[in-house]
Amino acid sequence: MTHLDDRLLILRGQIREWGAQVRPLALEIDRDPEAVRHHFALPAVRHLATMGVPEEYGHEPEKIGGHRFYGVSALERAVVMEELACADVGTLVASPGPLLAGVAVGLCADDRQKRWFYGRVLAEPLWTCFALTEPEGGSDAAAMRTSLTSTPDGGALLSGEKRYVGNACRAQLGVVFARARPGPLGITAVLVDTAEPGFDARPLDMIGLRGARISSVVMDRMPIPEDRFLGRHLTATRRGVWAFVQTFNVLRPGVAAIAVGIARAALEYVAEHRSTLSGAERERYEELVRRVDATRHLVHHAAAAVDARGTDGHLASAAKLRAARLAEDVTLAAAAFFGPGARLSHPFLDKLARDARAMEFLEGTGNMQRLNLFQGLLGGKVDRDRRRVPADA
Amino acid sequence: MTTLVSDTAALLERCHDAARHEGPAPALAALADGVLPGLLPCGPGGHAVVAAPTHAGAHALWLDGARRPLDPARTKIRAELDLPGGRVVLLDTGHAAPADRDAGAGAEPREVYGLGLVWLRLGLAQALRAACFTRLAHRRVGDSTLLQQQLVKGTVADVLAEHLEIQAVLSGARPGDLSPGMLDHLHGRITAADREQVRLLGAAGYLTDSPGLTAYVSELLAEAYAAAKEAP
Repeated sequence: MTHLDDRLLILRGQIREWGAQVRPLALEIDRDPEAVRHHFALPAVRHLATMGVPEEYGHEPEKIGGHRFYGVSALERAVVMEELACADVGTLVASPGPLLAGVAVGLCADDRQKRWFYGRVLAEPLWTCFALTEPEGGSDAAAMRTSLTSTPDGGALLSGEKRYVGNACRAQLGVVFARARPGPLGITAVLVDTAEPGFDARPLDMIGLRGARISSVVMDRMPIPEDRFLGRHLTATRRGVWAFVQTFNVLRPGVAAIAVGIARAALEYVAEHRSTLSGAERERYEELVRRVDATRHLVHHAAAAVDARGTDGHLASAAKLRAARLAEDVTLAAAAFFGPGARLSHPFLDKLARDARAMEFLEGTGNMQRLNLFQGLLGGKVDRDRRRVPADA
Repeated sequence: MTTLVSDTAALLERCHDAARHEGPAPALAALADGVLPGLLPCGPGGHAVVAAPTHAGAHALWLDGARRPLDPARTKIRAELDLPGGRVVLLDTGHAAPADRDAGAGAEPREVYGLGLVWLRLGLAQALRAACFTRLAHRRVGDSTLLQQQLVKGTVADVLAEHLEIQAVLSGARPGDLSPGMLDHLHGRITAADREQVRLLGAAGYLTDSPGLTAYVSELLAEAYAAAKEAP
């Protein structure tokens, strides 16, 4: 059991309160993801807009219970994500903010790049995107086709296609992965300003998680100045593939927390709309609650592990795998409490069941997580921390 | 909430380690000696799954919190199984736990024993995982091994994820922290994961000298000490 300290409990309480203002937007954002633009003043949206910007870059969030929360730890983000996903996952993923790209910047950017990126994020609410996946090869780095062709001034021209990139169609800033030269060390990430010529992103029509504005992107000879190469101060092994593996390791507990939040939302809906349950129904309901609680422990454990060591991604994979399945199972099970046709009579339940399906592929499919886990086991990473339990009480 | 004394944490760790590296009998003996020395630990239905020395050395019954004298005439030994680490005895004492057992000092040992059993079963499940891993890594199929088959990798990963989740819930939990419902849930998850693992062994996991027998005993542990369900 990874216990949340008092500070995080205060944060959770506040986010839960803010979440209550977000819940009524759920169906509106699902219908029209751009409607989030009318809700920038909501505290939850404002919190997300700068979550992840470190203090040293001028981030001064409002105090909550006497504390400032910068969102730089995976555990803190997991707490926020579960609460807001429970309130409405659509608004959570529709909100502007640095999230995925911000984590990559935090891990790989040099000080000047961070000042530029974080400065833009703090100046106004803006969307960012993290473009890795390609239409043909998914997130397989070896098959990556998007290219960076050097120019005489030390910069490069960025060309290629990306697919399934959250919020790309409305992002002002992005982190894009591309191949600068052949071989595994030839992958690099660049910071892009989408207002520059050559960047074109369009939303894809998705069944659920519509707030995320999952998009396709085409880049055609987009000029990338030399100083936008992410991690140019790092060794070649610390850029590119290392960067996105680390970024995903750090982000996965957050995605898993979103899945836990969706599952919890479904159970809260049952509790709210089925005031009396039969004995068998009550037992079924409580078993679902226990599943949610158990997976939350794993998510928090995984978040604490990547906070301690970013290379420890196997727990994050386990958390993502378990939580994604949890969200799918619980949202379907919740509908079963309302009899035939429940998802047609209860659009919010149907939305949850649709949103939950995205958890399977977000940040890597279940099978990818299984392969990560298997490699962790094969590589002896899994039991490295075994001696810490149960004496860590 | 019960206060965790330092030796309870050490006991749980010893129990988990012994189950994982030595077998069920040493782990069961460690748990019984640490929580209920000299007693025969029984579940609410009066059933016991214990190490042979615990059975031999018991001078009274502990019925899910209540003490009763030994009653050899009513006690039936259902099986004595020789497993890695030593003999385990399966018993039906013929005495169910009394309804008023919570009135005495039975609650705290029950909480420690109940939590210890889940740690113990997790240790057995992890040992089973290691045994499956080794066997599958040495079984050849075509020019590869069974372990390297995608479906097998997927099952191994699912089981591992299950174990990691169970361990995340248990880690740092003090006796009494987890509800009986949650302990029951964890037992159910361990049983389901064990069955997945045993399936990977095929018929070899069905032999009495295979890890499948330990998995069977592990299931009976959950069965014997399951929290009594309230009547619907």
